[in-house]
Amino acid sequence: MHHRWKLFPILMALGLILAACGTASPSASTAASQAAASTTESTAPAAVTIVHGTTDQPISYDPAGAYDLPSWNVIYNVMGTLLTMEPGAETPTPDLAESCQFDDPQTYTCTLRSGVKFTDGSDLDANDVKFSFERNTAIADPNGASSLNANLEEVEVVDPMTVTFHLAAPDATWPFVLTTGGNAIVPSDAYPADQLMDSTTMIGTGPYKMTDFQPGVSTTLEANPDYYGDPPANSKVIIQYFDSSATLKLALENGEVDLAYRSLTPTELGDLRTKDGIQVVDGQGAEIRYLNFNLNLPPGDQLAVRKAAAYLVDRQAIADNVYDGTVEPLWSMNPAGFTGHVDSFKDMYGSSPDPVAAAKVLSDAGISTPVDIEIWWTPTHYGDSSADEYTEIKRQLEDDGLFNVTLMSTEWQEYTGAAFTDQYPAFQLGWFPDFPDPDNYLGSFYASTSFLNIHYSEVDDLIAAERAETDPAARATIFEQIQQKVAEDTPIIPIWQGKQVAAALDGVTGIADTFDPSFIFRYWLISK
Amino acid sequence: MAAVTSSATSLRRYALTRLALLLPMAWILMTLVFLLMRVAPGDPISAALGGRLTQEELATRRAAAGFDRPLIFQYLEYLGDVVRLDFGRTLVDNRPVTSVIADHGTATLELTLAAMLVAVVVGIGIGLLAGRFRDSPIDLFGRLFGIVIYAAPIFFLGFLAQLIFGVWFHWLPVSGRASPLVANQIDQVTHLFLIDTLLAGDWDAFVDVARHLVLPAITLGLVIGGVFIRVVRVNVIQTLRGDYVEAARARGVPERQVVFRHAFKNALVPVITIMGLQFALLLSGAVLTEQTYNWPGLGSQLIRYLNNRDYIAVQGIITFFALIVVLVSLLIDLINAWVDPRIRY
Repeated sequence: MHHRWKLFPILMALGLILAACGTASPSASTAASQAAASTTESTAPAAVTIVHGTTDQPISYDPAGAYDLPSWNVIYNVMGTLLTMEPGAETPTPDLAESCQFDDPQTYTCTLRSGVKFTDGSDLDANDVKFSFERNTAIADPNGASSLNANLEEVEVVDPMTVTFHLAAPDATWPFVLTTGGNAIVPSDAYPADQLMDSTTMIGTGPYKMTDFQPGVSTTLEANPDYYGDPPANSKVIIQYFDSSATLKLALENGEVDLAYRSLTPTELGDLRTKDGIQVVDGQGAEIRYLNFNLNLPPGDQLAVRKAAAYLVDRQAIADNVYDGTVEPLWSMNPAGFTGHVDSFKDMYGSSPDPVAAAKVLSDAGISTPVDIEIWWTPTHYGDSSADEYTEIKRQLEDDGLFNVTLMSTEWQEYTGAAFTDQYPAFQLGWFPDFPDPDNYLGSFYASTSFLNIHYSEVDDLIAAERAETDPAARATIFEQIQQKVAEDTPIIPIWQGKQVAAALDGVTGIADTFDPSFIFRYWLISK
Repeated sequence: MAAVTSSATSLRRYALTRLALLLPMAWILMTLVFLLMRVAPGDPISAALGGRLTQEELATRRAAAGFDRPLIFQYLEYLGDVVRLDFGRTLVDNRPVTSVIADHGTATLELTLAAMLVAVVVGIGIGLLAGRFRDSPIDLFGRLFGIVIYAAPIFFLGFLAQLIFGVWFHWLPVSGRASPLVANQIDQVTHLFLIDTLLAGDWDAFVDVARHLVLPAITLGLVIGGVFIRVVRVNVIQTLRGDYVEAARARGVPERQVVFRHAFKNALVPVITIMGLQFALLLSGAVLTEQTYNWPGLGSQLIRYLNNRDYIAVQGIITFFALIVVLVSLLIDLINAWVDPRIRY
């Protein structure tokens, strides 16, 4: 009798092995598709489940507590905003609003769409809009995007279906601000006014409702039967979170996820392009990387040094050799595809390195070569390829003996404090937009109130002018002027503009349709 | 009788003393983690929004979150909360730390239990054979195998297993605790998926969960098993040299019985101690294994919160890990004392 206990662990192990060797179950999403019930309603979404693997993890699903892409990704699909960015559009279009317009440069009025219901059954009205904006400001969560509404003075309820936004200063970007995830509309009788809602609860008006959220594990969305718009192309989306892109890649190859978006490395994507049964989809992106000079520290405080570096940087080599074509050269701090974009740096410094011009500008300024310069980068925030990128930049600057570059790096936590407190002469930075408007780039970087340590006030008047200008053509002209000016002085050298890239199993459709500079990943377009 | 009573009393005193020491030990651990996390540069707000907001705005947000208060006030407030069993809320995603531990701790528990099972079966089995057939090819294989699997990095073993058994042969899944749809449908009573699926009578789900557990458990278990192989082998060799074993052979006891009934049992006694000591290694290995296999355990959460400088979360998780190691060590010591009458305190 007393011998039997010795067999227990062996039997347990055998049981596990036998179970594991059991009939391989099909991938979850395939099983869901096969088992899907047929629908008789033509307006019902296709009974398809999409499993999206990603390394991005959300911070909060309360609009007042979220200022990150993974959180906004879900908010865009579950909640609604007054205006939205249609796929590929350059300007906002009404969503929860039926129409919006500037009454004057500081007054913006929206008429709401009637018959819209939240997923808790309540009707959308103007009080919900006022409540949503006011709670965002009142809560002012450290991780939230209340700063985007800094120009908002008051939200006025004109009537149950009309709201007016009173702005402190003219702001042509206000329609874009209304499209952001931080300004999604929540029901006033369900969400607390002074604190965040727990992320396991989302009450919205979007094409999906969130049915499950397991932090660090997954988020499940199911088609919202009460959605006022077209039904999504799938009935369920499961967003599965991964700690490492390598495991995500393997999971895709093994069919455990249908699509992998954010963030596979260029090497992983390059390998996946060669795999049967897997497609890699590219689309225009708006994420950028740039080299920033501190104008208060040598040698970047000298214009000639900055211009010489601008003549020498070979963006195409970086795009090809470091990023395997997943990025494109960036010729302006207003990215390609945005209103008023011009290739200002290409026009001014050429499309390929010009060491002769670089040497001339240095000698004309009386600067001896090689110029010693310390360039900082960080390995823990901008991806694994940062080391290669800055090694390549160092090589390019030193190739003709004009610069002597010392590369320094530190992890993001220390980097973010030191870079913006006059400790680094030149350093790597990146940006993705809050909304797809040039002001979110040019205004963010070059205004005297910029988070950058440039204090570049020379374009303040131009920035104020474009913010007050509601005519798109006139605004585009101002943006062109800003780009020319900042290319002349080059406190920042743009390096590359990233493409949005996703890898998916063959048969998954709709990914390319959602890729645009707005960064809104529209699950409702994805099917298989 | 007096000797038995004295032994029981001393064991009870030893147990009570060790339990009483848990409190100051926990306090020292929490203080060390508190200081280490705050000495490291950065904070959760800068981690998330640095490079997007001005320094003034970041400072305003840090002040609103209380990060600029003197350390001593933050420390005393934290200790006060801990006394009320309030380990705070994570800074990154505003979750109660206790629910992070509860939600993800069971995933780690399931992995570590399965890994320990693998380690015991593999380690003891191979160690026994290696010791029994000393200096034979079996012994050579056992020793080499033990060294290789102990020395090989877990993530390397893991990736290799994922590539071979997942991507190449499609035999087993390479990530997660269960397929996404299955995970959605499990009624989490115990949060141990193997048990929950059995309780629900869902055999398909049980199979799915078991298939997901195989590779991570084997990867982690083999690393620990390498230690067991060497310990068991040495112990078996030593016990086979013992006088009582020679006496058994001299009495004509069959060799099989000499090995299993006499030598093996005594060779296993130190293994119980080793199991306790290796538990810490198991937990640290679980962190790497969870990262490799996307296993949603406490280890992967620890890495995530560390990268985001969420010291509230990190304090809670590390303290929890440390207390578990201490409790397991205490348990092993007590078991040893109970099993081995030669041990006195």
